[in-house]
Amino acid sequence: MRSRSTLTLALVASAMLTVSACSVSETLDAPTCTTSSSTPLISVQSVPSAELIMCLDPLPAGWEAATVDIGHEGTFVTFDSDRAGRSAAKVRFEASCDIGDATQTPTEFDDVRRFEWILEVAPRFRAKRYYVFEGGCVTWEFDFDADAPAGMAVELGNTLRFFSRDDINAQFRDSFIEEDL
Amino acid sequence: MTPADTTRTRSVHGTRVRRPSGEPPPLPKELNRVAVFWLGAFVAWAIIWLWVFLSDAPAIWITERDLEMMRPIVDRRVDWLTSLTEQTNAHVLTGTTFIVGWVTILGGLATKRIRHVVLFFAALALSSGIVTGIAPEIGRPRPIGIERLGEWEGFAQPSRPLTLLTVAVVGAGQTLAPSGVIRRRWYVLAGVFIAWCSFAQVYLGVEHPTDGDAAVSVGVAVPLILFRLGAPERVFPVAYRTGKTAHLDVTGERGVAIVGALQDQLGLEVTGLEPVGLAGSAGSTPLRVHVADGPDVFAKLYARNHLRSDRSYKLVRTLMYGQLEDEHRFSSVRRLVQHEDHMLRVMRDGGIDTLAPMGVVEITPDREYLLVTEFLTGAVEISDVDVTDDLIDQGLRNVRALWDAGLAHRDIKPANVMVLDGRLRLIDAGFGEVRPSPWRQAVDLANMMLVLALRATPERVYERAATWFSEDEIAEAFAASRGVTLPSALRADVRRDGRRLLERFRALAPPHEPVAIQRWSFRRIALSLWVGLVVAFLALLFLGNLPAIGLWP
Repeated sequence: MRSRSTLTLALVASAMLTVSACSVSETLDAPTCTTSSSTPLISVQSVPSAELIMCLDPLPAGWEAATVDIGHEGTFVTFDSDRAGRSAAKVRFEASCDIGDATQTPTEFDDVRRFEWILEVAPRFRAKRYYVFEGGCVTWEFDFDADAPAGMAVELGNTLRFFSRDDINAQFRDSFIEEDL
Repeated sequence: MTPADTTRTRSVHGTRVRRPSGEPPPLPKELNRVAVFWLGAFVAWAIIWLWVFLSDAPAIWITERDLEMMRPIVDRRVDWLTSLTEQTNAHVLTGTTFIVGWVTILGGLATKRIRHVVLFFAALALSSGIVTGIAPEIGRPRPIGIERLGEWEGFAQPSRPLTLLTVAVVGAGQTLAPSGVIRRRWYVLAGVFIAWCSFAQVYLGVEHPTDGDAAVSVGVAVPLILFRLGAPERVFPVAYRTGKTAHLDVTGERGVAIVGALQDQLGLEVTGLEPVGLAGSAGSTPLRVHVADGPDVFAKLYARNHLRSDRSYKLVRTLMYGQLEDEHRFSSVRRLVQHEDHMLRVMRDGGIDTLAPMGVVEITPDREYLLVTEFLTGAVEISDVDVTDDLIDQGLRNVRALWDAGLAHRDIKPANVMVLDGRLRLIDAGFGEVRPSPWRQAVDLANMMLVLALRATPERVYERAATWFSEDEIAEAFAASRGVTLPSALRADVRRDGRRLLERFRALAPPHEPVAIQRWSFRRIALSLWVGLVVAFLALLFLGNLPAIGLWP
């Protein structure tokens, strides 16, 4: 009886210790556009100056969000891929960004400017993509394993969506409290 | 009187009293009121979290109250206070957790409070696990409609930095601060500091007041309860007095309980008790008990810390030497004390001059017991008297009697060989064993001869031993004996003596091949691998947890 309770205690303690080993970044969901999770709310709060807020559609097959950090400096997500490798892509949502030598390209979003910077195509695809808008910036960084097709970056990049801060504030006021996030 | 009352009446037979069913033992096991209060606070928060998880209504109500409290504060921000709170938020809060955490771990290790350090780490990890598990489920954003000036990460409730800080300071108090004034002062200081940090978080708009409240509830309840269960102050006191940590405080409520228990269970009217012979005892707390109408008695107090010491000792011996002898651990304090009481009686029946047992007294069921025997008033250790041939013969006769009765004492050292009125008494049967290995019996002989030789010449002891044992038996005893087979106190005495007693005895005895003391078995190999795996797992867990529990920048 005693040894059983000791074993149970040890198992529970081990489980709790293992859970506690997860940092904040390993327990947050990615800020997806369709989820009922509260993660998008703190993502909105992470860049209070931004007029537009980023979110992500369901990821293409083979991709998964590995870490999600949301805090006073912004929202940062890294992605693992079964073909492009660990941390093959990152997306950052911040108040501002340095676009370096990136070239402006046509954009798919209103009120958003898009810039591309291809660093390497073969054998590894490496590139940066910037979306700059009023009060904020979203940066994609791709750093694939050798032989992973560059088209994967397009697939993943297409999951990005924006919604306006005003819309989310209005939604929040309707469902929770008469305050802006 | 109703029949129900009758069942609770104490049954008095002679001078002894039977504790009726339902009546608490002399020293009941209990969480104190402070621990119960914080456990209640934690449970209250758990209920709130469950409610919030199921419905938005309580979350809205709590958030509205939080914002009402916050607005007057954030609306009156002033530059100097903003600067101060920003420093607190960015550096002081997490820096204090880091410093207090490491000081506690290193201080605990330096003062050999391994149990406290393990519990401290477990409290940090468990609290961190609770926050990690709860925060995403609650999903509380940072304060809304308020400008946030400080640093933050993740969801707001419960506040992770305040939880870890609270666990660190409470755990530090439990690990390093002696109970009483010093610990109370530490907690007051820590409380003020936590309140300041919580205020800074609210002032900067990064947390609601209730985020800090919830964090403090978790941060106090978890370490307090873990320490109460795993290292209760009564059994594992934090003290910086000299002496062994095995010795328990017998003043206060434990002292009162002992006096009452001796009265009820053995019919002894106790007028006082005092620790005695602490230097020679590492496995229990020995006491001299003054009795009103009779001679003093001797009592050994056993508690869970002694049981655990016994387990650790046996585990280390098994790892280092294999199954040299019976290394099976006791499963409870009751069985430990039962064993010693039984061994005393078996030895006495076997003609060994030991102490007359008087019985076992229960202090806290399964946790604390007293083994009571006669007290040798005026007795001195053998190392404090001139050892005559008669005393040598008595010592050797006792070993012969042990052999003849199929027993081993296993802890023959000067502190356990007492002399009273010219009569030698072999005390402390706690390590005694029935039907020991021949090796173990031989070691008893060697140890007794070494004890006797500390105050006599080895030649004289050898000459007398040859009348009780064959020369081959003596040769076997010293072939089986080496540093690790000597109790540590005897080893120290022999080293201090400087006459190389072991070598001199070996030179006197006929040649004998050394008796191997390493025993290899599948069990020993498997146990070594298991212990290695557990240690590696715990080390990895410890290192992996450092960032999450605030002990890695």
